Amino acid sequence: MKFIITLAFKNLSRYKRRTSITAVAIAVGLMMYLLVDSILIGAENESMRNLRWYETASARIHAPSYWEDRMLFPMESSIENPDAVLALLDENGWKATARTVFTADMILYSEDFGEDGNMNVLVTAIDPETDNDVFHFSDTLIDGRFLEKGDENGILIGSWFAEDINAKVGYWITLVARGNGGFYEAMDMQIVGILNCPNPNVNRTLLMMDKDTAGYYLGMNQAVTEIDVLLPEHEDIDVEMAKIQAKIEASHLDLEVHSWKELAKDYLAIAEAKRGGTSMILFLVFIIAAVGISNTMLMAMYERTRELGMMRAMGMSDNNIRLAFLIEAGGIGFIGAVFGIVLGLLANLYMVNVGIDFGWMMRDLDMGYRIQSVFRGAWSMSSFIEAFVAGIGLSMIVAWIPISRALKMDIPSCLRHQ
Amino acid sequence: MIKVDKVSRNYIAGESVVKALKKVSLEVGDGEFMSIAGPSGSGKTTLLNLIGCIDSLDEGEILINGQQVTKMNKKEKTEFRRNNLGFIFQTYNLIPVLSAYENVAFVLSILNVPEQEIRERTYAVLKEVGLEGMENRRPSRLSGGQQQRIAIARALVKNPQIILADEPTANLDSKTGEEILKLMKKMNEKYHTTFIFSTHDQMVMDYASRLVLLHDGNIVSDERR
Repeated sequence: MKFIITLAFKNLSRYKRRTSITAVAIAVGLMMYLLVDSILIGAENESMRNLRWYETASARIHAPSYWEDRMLFPMESSIENPDAVLALLDENGWKATARTVFTADMILYSEDFGEDGNMNVLVTAIDPETDNDVFHFSDTLIDGRFLEKGDENGILIGSWFAEDINAKVGYWITLVARGNGGFYEAMDMQIVGILNCPNPNVNRTLLMMDKDTAGYYLGMNQAVTEIDVLLPEHEDIDVEMAKIQAKIEASHLDLEVHSWKELAKDYLAIAEAKRGGTSMILFLVFIIAAVGISNTMLMAMYERTRELGMMRAMGMSDNNIRLAFLIEAGGIGFIGAVFGIVLGLLANLYMVNVGIDFGWMMRDLDMGYRIQSVFRGAWSMSSFIEAFVAGIGLSMIVAWIPISRALKMDIPSCLRHQ
Repeated sequence: MIKVDKVSRNYIAGESVVKALKKVSLEVGDGEFMSIAGPSGSGKTTLLNLIGCIDSLDEGEILINGQQVTKMNKKEKTEFRRNNLGFIFQTYNLIPVLSAYENVAFVLSILNVPEQEIRERTYAVLKEVGLEGMENRRPSRLSGGQQQRIAIARALVKNPQIILADEPTANLDSKTGEEILKLMKKMNEKYHTTFIFSTHDQMVMDYASRLVLLHDGNIVSDERR
């Protein structure tokens, strides 16, 4: 065994250039894998955080009939007694806030916007005093002020939305919305603040006003369309959801709880598909490494055919010869994997701390990610271990074929080989 | 004792069949220093390969010390070669990344000889073939004669009963070739190891105590000196 290992490692230094080139190919491939994997994990983690922070919260409570028609934002399927629900949640240590979401026709005036116009918008009416307990919008204010409790005319707008319609703080708009009961109501609102929300989907469409003001105009009579709940990040969401649902049922409240995973089902499906993309990259890395290793081992076997014949003539078993070549291939894989890990670490260090700014692309392109500009990486120990093991394992697997082919040659042919 | 009995070996070359050996019979006693000579294509290397259990025959049988080697499977042949046969090749076939010492020691490693014994036997045999002090040199830093000495040491180190040498002096100048022959003759006399050569070289034929001439796959002469 000692001789086999000695031979394998000495052979590694036999064709230094070829070993180096193959190891570099493996290293670059593994680094690419680690880099892409890091970006995707980082993007996914940040997207999910931005989903919870700016879109869905951890969980949402609706009236039972709301969920089925949720795409129509039905005002009539609202929570009639939100204060009782909020008190119940508060008693049990869950932070929550009430919101009303409705669609409206937004009218723009030429005095402010340069020309008259209108468009359909989605408006979120919030409780300015409790919304920031659950969401994180107050940190994103870049101009003007945040909403205040009972803000009669104030409305907040997302920065990309503001850019799109050329809106500025102080501009007036009119919202025409269908109230609870079927009547239409016009609300004259003044933009009081611009929010640069890190979630691009929100930043493109965000309009936010005071809940009580909206309730007054829309005839909600204290009702809201949803109650959003914050759950601790480390808690098992399904377990917490079950607890909330149990408390609600125990209080004889006819309401449903949906986790952010249900609310963001479409995004999660896309994320799953993107994970498939990572596997494709890993596969491509494998192909690169496989071609390199296979070629190196083929050349090695070809150049050492006579030597192979000699060893077999001397009585060295095929298994021992195969083992020597496999260790040699594994050695090339090991060198490549070590360098790949080092390169991956360096690349990841940059990605985690600095990241790449895709803002120019994300502004006009919806890739599904809830990230506005800088994509940062994330550390994944399992990916590094996988890459390391794959680098070595794959090298040995692809070497198996040329070794087996060479061992099929008869010994006299090996010895005659030029 | 080696007994070759009516051995035939055919090769397929394209659409034709080349009869390399035609019912050849031969007996080789222990400790002989025998040369198989003949022109190219006469079948001498084929005969050597068959005795060395690295080729398979089409007809006949070969017995070595009573063991019917032709009936052995691949694994048994490998084990038989490992334990009983030594080989010396025309082009030495040394492993270039290993030192002279390692090239010889590997034969004992595959026999699972203990490390200390490997060291003692390897140094001893290298001294015997005149390579003392060159143990750590790689083949590329040695002359052709010195490389062939390593090959002889490699064949001798496990004390095999039979050493098969395929044109061992073909790549050497006449002076070095003679030195190598003298060395092999010395080893033959000292250890009573059977040496069988295939050769074109008149000098090797002259050194042999028995000369078998092959022509077109037949033994045309078998002369003991």
